[in-house]
Amino acid sequence: MERICCISINHRTAPVDIRERIRVGHEELREILDKDSEAFALNTCNRTEVYWTGLDVVEVYRLIERLSGCEEDMLRGASEFLAGKESIRHLFMVASGLDSLVLGETQILGQMKDAYREALAAGTTDTILNKALHRAFRAAKRIRTETGIGSYPVSVASQAVDLAEHIFGEIGGNTVLVVGAGDMAGIAAKRLRDRGAKHLRIVNRTHATACMLADELGGIAVPFENLAEELVTGDIVITSTGSVRPIITRDMVAAAMKLRKNRPIIIIDIAVPRDVEEAAGKCYNCYLYDIDALKAIVDRHFAHRESEAKKAVSIIEEESAKFGAWLESLSARVTIRDLFALMDAHIADQLSGQSFPEGEKELLEQHLRASYKRLLHRPISFLKGHPGARYIEYVRRVFLLDEDYTDRHKG
Amino acid sequence: MTITAAFILYTLTGLGFITYLFLRTDTFLFGLRTLYCLCIAVHGLSFSILWQASGQLPVATPTEALNMLILFSSLAFIPFIFKRKTAILAAFFLPAASIVLAFIAPSLQAGSEVLSGPHRTWYVLHTLSVIAGEAFFVVAAIASTVYLIHERIIRKGSIHLKLSHLPPLTMLDGILYGSLALGFFSITTGMILGGLWASAEGIAFSSIAPKVLAGALLWAVFGLSLHQRFAIGWKGRRTAIITLIGFVLMVLLFVGINAAFPESHGIRLI
Repeated sequence: MERICCISINHRTAPVDIRERIRVGHEELREILDKDSEAFALNTCNRTEVYWTGLDVVEVYRLIERLSGCEEDMLRGASEFLAGKESIRHLFMVASGLDSLVLGETQILGQMKDAYREALAAGTTDTILNKALHRAFRAAKRIRTETGIGSYPVSVASQAVDLAEHIFGEIGGNTVLVVGAGDMAGIAAKRLRDRGAKHLRIVNRTHATACMLADELGGIAVPFENLAEELVTGDIVITSTGSVRPIITRDMVAAAMKLRKNRPIIIIDIAVPRDVEEAAGKCYNCYLYDIDALKAIVDRHFAHRESEAKKAVSIIEEESAKFGAWLESLSARVTIRDLFALMDAHIADQLSGQSFPEGEKELLEQHLRASYKRLLHRPISFLKGHPGARYIEYVRRVFLLDEDYTDRHKG
Repeated sequence: MTITAAFILYTLTGLGFITYLFLRTDTFLFGLRTLYCLCIAVHGLSFSILWQASGQLPVATPTEALNMLILFSSLAFIPFIFKRKTAILAAFFLPAASIVLAFIAPSLQAGSEVLSGPHRTWYVLHTLSVIAGEAFFVVAAIASTVYLIHERIIRKGSIHLKLSHLPPLTMLDGILYGSLALGFFSITTGMILGGLWASAEGIAFSSIAPKVLAGALLWAVFGLSLHQRFAIGWKGRRTAIITLIGFVLMVLLFVGINAAFPESHGIRLI
């Protein structure tokens, strides 16, 4: 049986100054692969992972050393090497976001799928890693649907969307007012747009910066002087400026609420020092959340995610056990055994429920067995001559020896 | 017998909807909606049996009126039950309906009191209209309660709670406004019909004064709530609080007046 191995350099094992130096591309991996080996690399801001079969670990370490310029000792100290079941489990954990810095985050799955596309284009993966990655994606999907790990948003933008949905329902019809055009505001606005916000208005002291962000996000830049008027139309306000004094006062909000006829407004103030006067939150139908309030929600959500992660781990165990069983079946010996078992099942099926004269049943069984053996002789000879995973997988597929294929066939 | 079956169904469905607060699956919701329709069917059947047995629309006594109010309220909730986001309102309505049914079911007997008088049709129309209005106020009161709970959850930032899967505030406010407007229209119609009936029957105002005054007070409270909404944009919490105050007032007046002045409407009961 082929073993899947993995070298992982991640946020738990290595500091950022090492992590940022290490990047492994599929083109480079291809250089060390032969016809029976496979490899897959994943690079994100928090981790670099290399999975492979049929390679020597020293070879992979050498490649990483060469690409990163790190010394061998440093690299080994900053990475973890996993093999067999442990590496499969780790792959599934990574895909599901259970090994991420932000527990249960979904971005990693998208990054992994992108990396897989690159691997397919470079031709570095084959039967085993293809199957392992598909299984990992499947486990991640199951975790998302069967546990509540994704129901507890932990980013500011997700919080804003969540709060807005509790108040307005869908956010598509609401106007989002972004005050400030810095990184934080930009990220939050982008997430809001990705979550369905259509009407984005950006206010910034430097109008040119607001215009740039507006162009990037498909919104409208508004002069800073119009901030008070914008509060009348904005339903979700995200503010993150570097101002040392509040730029949105209670009076401004009260005046806006009057003109809004008390239509609810959510103000998310992620600036430190705060951009919005605390008293503004006392205005009728104004929902004000500052960074501390958001942090309190995030902390509670993390606690919930951790409890959901326990359920997720049992799904990981189940899926990795299934994959392990499939991997085990990828040996010529096991496949030949399965072919004979299939033959026995067919013979029993044909003879069952029929009555035969004395002694004829045994004769017929012998005849059937001989015929089946003749028929199976060719695939068995083929397996013995081509013991590679790919050919074993072909035979297993042709004879529907795995549950998956049988199910698909029935379906 | 059928009213007992209706009570059991209301209770079971209510418990089901409370469970739905925590166990949100489409199949479960489908089952609950089916049960809800069954509740109304069985309750409707019990109502029609009572009607047939007494030979008149069963609204002559306070218990009969309450029975009809629950049936009308259940009907008024149907559009919300079949909307995914608002179906959960039933978790707040059905337990209350079950409790009221438990109290009135033993005293619901056919033909206990018979309406008479040459213009009783006016009276029946007046009662139907008022009860329909009250049913809309029940919807408004439930929407107000849910609004206040959900708003508190949002303000405290406890949106991670399973209970926080309540309808969005603006949607609840819309339900509140719609049911207040419909209720106000029905009550107004009912009051006009009541006036026509009293005048046709030649009933002295003094004999119906307590109920007329109580009705006028309620009408004024709900009218004020609607007026403030249009005039100064009272939306959300304030409207919800006024509605709940009005609803509690309605319940207290109903119980108090029927206990203190059992025949204050001057209807002749044989």
